[in-house]
Amino acid sequence: MGCSSSLPDRSTGRLGGLNVSESGGVVDAKNLRVKLVLLGDSGVGKSCIVLRFVRGQFDPTSKVTIGASFLSQTIALQDSTTVKFEIWDTAGQERYAALAPLYYRGAAIAVIVYDITSPETFTKAQYWVKELQKHGSPDIVMALVANKADLHEKREVPTQDGIDYAEKNGMFFIETSAKTADNINQLFEEIGKRLPRPSST
Amino acid sequence: MDTAASHSSSSSSSSSIMFYDFLDKMRNPASLNLVKSIKSFIVSFQFSSANPENDSERVQEFFSTMEAAIMEHPLWAGATDDEFDCSMEGLEKYIMTKLFSRTFAISPEDVRIDQEISEKIHLLQSFLRPEHLDIPPFLQNEASWLLAEKELQKINAFRAPREKLHCIMSCCRIINNLLLNASISENHVPGGADDFLPVLIYVTIKANPPQLHSNLKYIQLYRRQEKLVSESSYYFTNLVSAKSFIVQLNAKSLSMDEIEFEESMQAAKLDSEVSQVEALQAQMDPISSTRMHGMKKNIDGRSNYPYMEAEPGELTVEDVERLLSLYKDVVTKFSSLCRAVRHPSATRTKPSLPVPKGRDDILLQLEGTITNHPRGEGRGT
Repeated sequence: MGCSSSLPDRSTGRLGGLNVSESGGVVDAKNLRVKLVLLGDSGVGKSCIVLRFVRGQFDPTSKVTIGASFLSQTIALQDSTTVKFEIWDTAGQERYAALAPLYYRGAAIAVIVYDITSPETFTKAQYWVKELQKHGSPDIVMALVANKADLHEKREVPTQDGIDYAEKNGMFFIETSAKTADNINQLFEEIGKRLPRPSST
Repeated sequence: MDTAASHSSSSSSSSSIMFYDFLDKMRNPASLNLVKSIKSFIVSFQFSSANPENDSERVQEFFSTMEAAIMEHPLWAGATDDEFDCSMEGLEKYIMTKLFSRTFAISPEDVRIDQEISEKIHLLQSFLRPEHLDIPPFLQNEASWLLAEKELQKINAFRAPREKLHCIMSCCRIINNLLLNASISENHVPGGADDFLPVLIYVTIKANPPQLHSNLKYIQLYRRQEKLVSESSYYFTNLVSAKSFIVQLNAKSLSMDEIEFEESMQAAKLDSEVSQVEALQAQMDPISSTRMHGMKKNIDGRSNYPYMEAEPGELTVEDVERLLSLYKDVVTKFSSLCRAVRHPSATRTKPSLPVPKGRDDILLQLEGTITNHPRGEGRGT
């Protein structure tokens, strides 16, 4: 049929959208649904990270999405909660930078990606951090991701620079390689742990 | 959530099934109280003046109230989530079809924005190429993009917010399939939004969907809130973002020389003004319009005006018809020229007709005639 609903329980998601908050919608305290926005220059591998994450794990509850720019994936955390990430990719080309607020509005998480072989993309990542600090929701969880960590010989951004910048801005930092799948799942697990839990059930 | 993916393949048939199912249930005597609430809600709208934000709140609140009522209702006892959801979709369609003229594109501001966007897109269509948005050659597929464009152009064929949103989703689905195919055949990693958004913008410009701004606003305000989430919300946001890009688009937004951009825009403006005049004229006077078209090539020569050197005594009765038709040509050309020249943004490409000294007064007289001329009036302004 054309109109299925995959909300697990009528009484939680429906009535007036009480539990569907702007920030992606929390289904209940044990099953979180969160909006995650990906920011970063074009070519840093934003969508590769997500494809790695989504295809690396089999999620029988997730329906097939229509494209590579919106993907969702559910993970189970150790405290037996599940987190369904709804991942919003953004176009990284400079000419679309002004459109970003349309995408990060209401996001619970922002993952800001740069490429360790390109200092310009690190500068751009810092621009996004500042922009989110100014205009993003105040309780947004931010992660700084240094991608393409497999390309050691071409590295131009030292790991320590990333660590220092993230620390100064209260962000979670991780180096990943979408190519080798290094640290990809860790990235999402760490984010899941850092999510604020709804106080009441 | 995830509805978009599920109502993709079987859109129109399933949507009419769910609607008839809803109507069937409403015809059941047991749902009399629901029918009463729906009717009185629709009537209550006719007694207040339009106010989009307020109206949206009232409609969304009514959906929630009805949702609760339906959930408790004996007619839906034991209904599955799907059946229940179908009834809600039917309700949305029923209410919004009834309230359509009261809620869609009602403010003069919305009408103006729609028109401005449509005019700007019309200008861009004449020269914009995929490479101006840096769409890489292996992703370019103008023939298949037509399918995506058609989906967007269908948006005004529907009144229910769900069906309008469905047009957007179908358009995005087609683009995504093309991107996926291209990346498979080129052995290229799918580019995500870096690839998707530029193609969507290009497709939107090629499609010039009717009342783009009003349609987006209407979906945002009247689609059931819990349905404009997740993937639907993402693709909806992409079209909002494409619209916003087009509205703000200037020479710096494209991979194109700035001067070339300005020149192309002005040439397109002039073209569209002339063709508007011609279209209007063709409606009023098909004969002289075709004539004018043929003469356009010789606009600089005077061979088309054989009476320029004639003396009154030389004219015969047979010349009257020819003279009248030439007079009409001159009037229409002149009024379209005046229009183009007066338009401040089109001055740079002002066409220069050779007007020998001494004939300015004739032109002035002609202009005077235009304002008094019952037909010319319509053309000149």
